Amino acid sequence: MGGLCHAPPVSETLTDGTAGGAAPTGEPVIETRGLRKVYRGRKGTHVAVDGLDLRVPAGGVHGFLGPNGSGKTTTIRMLLGLARPTAGSMRLFGEEVPARLPAVIGRVGAVVESPKFSPNLTGRQNLRLLARSVGVPDERVERAVATVGLTGREKERYKGYSLGMKQRLAIAATLLKDPALLILDEPTNGLDPAGIREVRDTITGLGEQGVTVLLSSHILAEVQQVCTSATIVGRGRLLASGRVDDLLGAATRHRVTVAGDLGAAADVLTRAGLAATPEPPAHGHQGQGHQGHGAGPALLVEGDDPAAITRALGEAGLWLTSLVPLKRDLEQLFLEVTAGQGPGMTMPADWSGAGEVS
Amino acid sequence: MRHLLRAEADRLRWRRAVVLLVLGGVLLTAFTFAVTAWNTRPVSQAELDAVFSERYAASELAECQAHPRRYLSGAVIDDSTVDGTTSDGAGSDTLVEQRCRDLLSSWYGLRPTLDPQNSLENGVAGVSAVLVLLLLLVGTTFAGHDWSTGSMSNQLLYEPRRARVWGAKALVVTAAAMAVCAVLLGALWGGLLGLAALRDITVAPGVPGDGWAQVARTTLLAGLAALLGFALTMLFRSTVATIAVLFALALTSGGLFLTLGIFGTSGRWEPATNVAALVVGEADYYDESVLAPECFRPNGGLRWKRAGCDPYRTVGAVQGGLYVGTGVALVCVGSVLVHRRRDV
Repeated sequence: MGGLCHAPPVSETLTDGTAGGAAPTGEPVIETRGLRKVYRGRKGTHVAVDGLDLRVPAGGVHGFLGPNGSGKTTTIRMLLGLARPTAGSMRLFGEEVPARLPAVIGRVGAVVESPKFSPNLTGRQNLRLLARSVGVPDERVERAVATVGLTGREKERYKGYSLGMKQRLAIAATLLKDPALLILDEPTNGLDPAGIREVRDTITGLGEQGVTVLLSSHILAEVQQVCTSATIVGRGRLLASGRVDDLLGAATRHRVTVAGDLGAAADVLTRAGLAATPEPPAHGHQGQGHQGHGAGPALLVEGDDPAAITRALGEAGLWLTSLVPLKRDLEQLFLEVTAGQGPGMTMPADWSGAGEVS
Repeated sequence: MRHLLRAEADRLRWRRAVVLLVLGGVLLTAFTFAVTAWNTRPVSQAELDAVFSERYAASELAECQAHPRRYLSGAVIDDSTVDGTTSDGAGSDTLVEQRCRDLLSSWYGLRPTLDPQNSLENGVAGVSAVLVLLLLLVGTTFAGHDWSTGSMSNQLLYEPRRARVWGAKALVVTAAAMAVCAVLLGALWGGLLGLAALRDITVAPGVPGDGWAQVARTTLLAGLAALLGFALTMLFRSTVATIAVLFALALTSGGLFLTLGIFGTSGRWEPATNVAALVVGEADYYDESVLAPECFRPNGGLRWKRAGCDPYRTVGAVQGGLYVGTGVALVCVGSVLVHRRRDV
């Protein structure tokens, strides 16, 4: 699982240095309490966000997950002052928003939904307009353009940009302010695989530079590859929150190959109280926990104790050739919690977020 | 605020529709000047001699100079203080002769002489009306583009104080509209006066000053128009909606006011009357409601000639300006309040 979260601990204030997870530190960068947003229209009311308690710790890349219409974008828009909450409170860097938003907005870069720029202006002109509005020197525009790899293309009109270039320009815009917090809402929407990879690399790089990134997406593989922690919401409510490794939990299954008769091994394991079944043919291509093991007939053994497996097989004179722990991936977790089938896992004690999957 | 104003000024000048609208104003102004200059180019002596060598034309010219009221409009005669049968003073003689020659030349198919006052009432006023309309569109499209592209939300991520953003945009678009109007109308009026001087044409005293005052008032109206277009579009978040509302208002406002009886049946409160008063300096409107009962005949007709029974009233430039300014201010207040509260 170490490969799931590429962004290492980034903040100098981190309390632990364990790979794959930025530890929460004292004051959260983002905090909402009882956040609620109700839209009223002719067809009645729609509750977009329903009492959301969100905490994003400083450092790392934090995934903000949820199905379409789960309230992710609305939450982000409220945090950024673009929409007014119906109830609840919000804090950015410890400051109450929207009242104190002008005091902290200089430290926040954000892309909300799709990039929005003037189509007839060049990429550089669009960035300069934003930079000049807050007194940022033009030199920083060039630096931001270089950071996202748009050098040479910044003189072209925005309407001629590919989707990937537009997304990169939007990220460049967020960098003009030299932000400590970056909020990216579906930054890979509409991108081809190459574009997704470009944006993902940019986000990873920013995380490595010490920027806290809140990455909203419903593309779970994308989040799993770049995030250190995540929050899952559904119907405007918090469903789960914590470090990705903790959310996914320990391995509950193992893939086992043996030198010898696979059927005999299955019998031995079953007699030892470990449910073992032959691996379906396609199974080896699913889930990231399978990466690196050899192909060929294998058993899937239920249980989180690898020692019990090796002991049972060893005592029967069957020798292991491989034992690979299989974890749930984010997609499995997401489907479980959004379907109301969460296992009720407890969050680590130092995680000051939701506490457990609800 | 300084940074914001600078950014908004850049945004305005980089907006292609704005550039095209201003370019349209420049071309219109240049075209009007060129057409006026060409159509009033001096008639050659040979052309004049040919016309006034005709016996009938010569006698008619003499008749016009002797009895200008029979030929010329009241304004020209008033300017030259003609008593109705003879002119008094060399300058006035020259003006009356010039106008008589001009009139008769046109009767006999020759070009009129350049007349700045006539140009002020027609050419300059026409250009003024179109310029004000173009600058209203500048204000509309400036705000509308931010909403149609969604870049407004992007801007608010940098400056979340919405009233400040609204104010900076409004200030820039208003100032720009006034500057454009002042430059173009100033150039047109100054050019016409310069052309008249170049052609040794006598301009009645007071006309240059009237013209400059009209340019100044039109400049004020242009600023208010741009501000109105901007404020309405910030309110509706759509250029098309703003144009539709303004179009509907232009078509129905007079009738609407009268129908609803908001301010009684007086034409004093019709927008067109007040806009005209602001531009031209004064405008008349018809209002029977202020007349005493003795002004009406038993059969319902008016005793027009009786003292105090003239139903026509005049709105001055200040009154018109206050009316227009108040209307624009109300729209602006509503626009700012909505912009501050509404989700983006």
